[in-house]
Amino acid sequence: MTDMLRISIPLTVWIAAFSAVYGLQGIICSDLWRTAGLTTGQGRIALIVLGVAAVALQVAMQVLLRRPRFASPLPWVQRVATILAYVALVATLWSFLPVVSTSLCL
Amino acid sequence: MVLAGCEERLSTVHPAGPAADTIATLWWVMLAGAAAIFLLVMVLLVLAFRKGEGPSGDDADKRRETLWIKGLGLGFTMTVLAALTAWGLSIGERLLPRPGPDVVAVGAEGRQWAWRFSYPDLPGRTTENVLHIPARRPVDVRITSADVIHSFWVPRLAGKLDAIPGHVNVLRLEAWEPGEYAGVSAEFSGAGYRTHRFTVVAHDAAAWNAFLTGELP
Amino acid sequence: MTDKPRMTALRLHKALYPIWRNDPGWKGVLTTVNNNTIGNMFIIGATGMFLAGGILAMLIRAQLASPRSAFMGPEIYNQIFTMHGTIMMFLFAIPFFEALTVFLLPGMLGTRDLAFPRLSSYGFWCYMIGSTIMIVALLAGVAPDGGWFMYPPLSSTAFSSGINADIWLLGISFIEISAIGAAIEVVVTVLRYRAVGMSLDKLPIFAWYMLVVAVMILTAFPPMILGSLILELERAFDMPFFQAEHGGDSLLWQHLFWLFGHPEVYIIFLPAAGVISMVLPVMARTTLLGYGWVVAAAISLAVLSFGLWVHHMFTTGIPHMGLAFFSAVSTLVAVPTGVQIFAWIGTLWKGRPEMHLPMLWILGFFVTFVMGGLTGVMVAMVPFDWQAHDSYFIVAHLHYVLIGGYVFPMIAGIYYWLPVLTGRKRFFRMGEVAFWLVMAGFHGTFLLLHWAGLLGMRRRIDVVEAGSGWELINLLASISGFVLAIGFGLVILDVAVNAFVAVRGRRNPWNAGTLEWATPIPGPAYNVASIPVVNSRYPLHDNPDLPVQIARGEGFLGEPVRNRRETLAVSVARGEPEFISVFPNNTIVPFVMAVVTSVMFMAPVFKWYSLMFIAAGGVTVLALVWAWANGSRRDEGLLDAGRGVFLPPHTEVAYPPGWWGSLFLLLADSVLFGSLLFGYAFLWTVAPNWPPPRILQTGIPGPVLALAGAALASGGIRLADRAIRAQGQPWPGLLASLAGLAALVAAAGTVFAGTTYNAHAYDATLWVIAGYVVFHAGIAGLMVLFLLGRIGAGYISSRRFGDARVVRLWIDYAVLAALIGLGGAWLPGVLS
Repeated sequence: MTDMLRISIPLTVWIAAFSAVYGLQGIICSDLWRTAGLTTGQGRIALIVLGVAAVALQVAMQVLLRRPRFASPLPWVQRVATILAYVALVATLWSFLPVVSTSLCL
Repeated sequence: MVLAGCEERLSTVHPAGPAADTIATLWWVMLAGAAAIFLLVMVLLVLAFRKGEGPSGDDADKRRETLWIKGLGLGFTMTVLAALTAWGLSIGERLLPRPGPDVVAVGAEGRQWAWRFSYPDLPGRTTENVLHIPARRPVDVRITSADVIHSFWVPRLAGKLDAIPGHVNVLRLEAWEPGEYAGVSAEFSGAGYRTHRFTVVAHDAAAWNAFLTGELP
Repeated sequence: MTDKPRMTALRLHKALYPIWRNDPGWKGVLTTVNNNTIGNMFIIGATGMFLAGGILAMLIRAQLASPRSAFMGPEIYNQIFTMHGTIMMFLFAIPFFEALTVFLLPGMLGTRDLAFPRLSSYGFWCYMIGSTIMIVALLAGVAPDGGWFMYPPLSSTAFSSGINADIWLLGISFIEISAIGAAIEVVVTVLRYRAVGMSLDKLPIFAWYMLVVAVMILTAFPPMILGSLILELERAFDMPFFQAEHGGDSLLWQHLFWLFGHPEVYIIFLPAAGVISMVLPVMARTTLLGYGWVVAAAISLAVLSFGLWVHHMFTTGIPHMGLAFFSAVSTLVAVPTGVQIFAWIGTLWKGRPEMHLPMLWILGFFVTFVMGGLTGVMVAMVPFDWQAHDSYFIVAHLHYVLIGGYVFPMIAGIYYWLPVLTGRKRFFRMGEVAFWLVMAGFHGTFLLLHWAGLLGMRRRIDVVEAGSGWELINLLASISGFVLAIGFGLVILDVAVNAFVAVRGRRNPWNAGTLEWATPIPGPAYNVASIPVVNSRYPLHDNPDLPVQIARGEGFLGEPVRNRRETLAVSVARGEPEFISVFPNNTIVPFVMAVVTSVMFMAPVFKWYSLMFIAAGGVTVLALVWAWANGSRRDEGLLDAGRGVFLPPHTEVAYPPGWWGSLFLLLADSVLFGSLLFGYAFLWTVAPNWPPPRILQTGIPGPVLALAGAALASGGIRLADRAIRAQGQPWPGLLASLAGLAALVAAAGTVFAGTTYNAHAYDATLWVIAGYVVFHAGIAGLMVLFLLGRIGAGYISSRRFGDARVVRLWIDYAVLAALIGLGGAWLPGVLS
């Protein structure tokens, strides 16, 4: 079962971070953000911070997965887990690119 | 008046305004790209049936994985898709209803099965199933619904945007030339859905001024 | 059994058959729990639904053939296309691959049945009864008519006052029981019930795909089940979840529906990809290229598919950055799809492809699915989708993906796994004729419909109007549609002829390497006479004698000495033997429970709520009967599993199969709860008319009750667990647990007391959250009482404490849900 977790955690973290960024973007464009006295510019900074944190988390998992303590004893599982950790990192970068390249609330 | 042939009234590939034109270009480019990729895949598929078997063994499989999976599966698809995504998003950015000095605002409220249009520049004036706009000027249509979900779609001018109860969505339109453009509701809304239509009339500057002063019926 | 000569295959069969066989006659149909029988009935049922959906498609094409051919008014036509979509998605596509999986998976894994045989039966009967209800509704003219995605407010009471929408919401939710049940079975079976030595890297690739699909079902279906539940609550009790004037938002439905609806597309595609990954290498006389890459691609696809639901909502006015996230993931998801496509083509290059009928269908898949995938990437582009959305471009795209990407591979699979095929004289080469008819008919129908869409033809219009410019395309589509229907009809006829008339073929005609070919097909009720030991992904290639050795009982559990249905459970990663699982005998309980469940779901359609509660009571009683039948009143100790290995029975392990099943059921449950909390947050941020006029005041008693209840409930069951293992008295702990659960119910009661259920979407949401807490505390409480009964009846001992672990899991979940849910309900009151 630990091997199943090794395989599934990086991508699960991606989907969690993805949901968080989408949720935050929703909050920034809602009345809640305005009534809290915050600006859209501050919203973008918050999104960027969250995005960078998500990337950092993925990089951290890349490193941890290679540590003997967390690596799988089965070479095949280790290989698949490594591939999937890369997928999660690429997915994080790819899906968070709009944070810096698109209009926030239009 | 420029009227497209009857059969092209609702055609997205006969654009009559900048938004629809941009999207039509996107379509033709994607069609060409898709055709090329499809041909490539088919050629690779057919070639697989050529005589003879390749070398076997772990080393040969490693090389195959590098070519087929890392090269074609990952490298090729990611390159194409990254480029397309970036282009698609930049087009999307260009079509957004950004504020500008020239922009005209109109209101559109959908209901089963008609549209009522209103004009902030002409308070109190509403029209049923006919939307008046000036040609050659960006128009922001503020879309909402009085009952179920509808969608405001004038294919020759721009993409569609939904009319959702409790929300106001803003669609940027522009017609190159004065004329009449067919519009339809494009979200299923029950028994009268098919006939839920409207017309957009784009006026030249003089006619638009006449409309604003209430001279146009 | 003492030292005696090894059994011969025939003697072993004669020993196993009476243990595993179905009851004779018609009774056997209702009481069977066997995966082969249920798989067969399931396949036939799902094929029947394909025919029903196909007939509706033909009515649609007849209606749209020309401006003059329309023969239905919109009231009927709307029911027809709604039911076409509903039947094909819910009653054909998902059930069909489940059926195939129920049938094939135990054989592939080298085990004797699926993990929960009674659940197979229950799921199947829920499906059959639910499907029958839907068809009857259609024939009675009260079928749903709001489109298969049922957007409110059109599906709300104000605009759909009849029972049509209720039938959809309750009927489909009822049928989804079978999907959830099958998913739990598949996950636990793939993880725990396999041949010995079948470590994760030696799983047949289809099993990997189905594991992924099953987890997807458990995480994708709950949002829609929640959506159906709250829409039904709105319709029945006017709780305004989707009414803008009372703080509801129709967009919430779209989010919940597509949160299910997009993963669903991959839930349908991945089993087909699994079939291709099994069949294509055999057809090319080689092995799959990049097995690990393909597994990684399937997992990536599964997770990525949860990040693109909004691409069905590009035209709903969500800000561009929001759309951009989903556009990006929508293109990214094409990468693992591409990896699989190229891995398959690479496999063909690696081998020596032979042109048998399954291969022909796979080529049909390549041609069709690649086109569907490419148009899929097109509509992932936000601006293009603004034009294409809800037009016939989408209709064409989705049929390319679903028929090309699902139906064609499934037909390939059916022909591949129907080994009797080879044993007969071909009559007119009907299979090939059918293939070409289908290919010509399919592309004739759908290729040009893309163009009709770009010319402005909207989906769901009931007449093709004269002068629209789409008349010719539609006429061609209708003619081709009938060719397509004839082709599919011939396929079904061909398979039926093969199945019933043809001469038996030899075992393993394709010379495949996986275990499902080690038994004669149709397989005996016990699937494998003994559980084999495997050392590679293709055990039959390593050891051609394996089938004989299995039949002679040379694997594990090869001597049915204990005269009961036994199979082996193995460790998750390495496939080492861990315990002996004792399976239930034939029983009518699942069938009866399916009937009573159908009453529970259908009574509210007619607002017969007292009947609903009576049926719910009946389901509860039956569930207790079901659970009671499992277990043992004596410690058995280590049992002989064959090959010199001694293992405990499942009653004497800490985490029995029921615990694993509960774990994955709770995974689905937690996704449903998460969706509910998402809905709460969504309404708060996006919906009009918020904040609500009156916010719940937190007070002191509620939180105190919740915290105390949580501590008592979780602590109590732990005390009881420890007492059971130490042969002490479990009563105090269990009673403390019960008291704790009652306190949680009381804490939830403060939420009911402080709100008015139909005043505002806020109140309605809080009622559902509190109701969820009460429901789970209630289930956990019932389980504690059940455990007390089991202890009294002698089913629990210091070795047999697995039941207590199951109860502990459910209590912990109820506690967690109460703390999070009630905390969320009180939070605004605390902040304000």
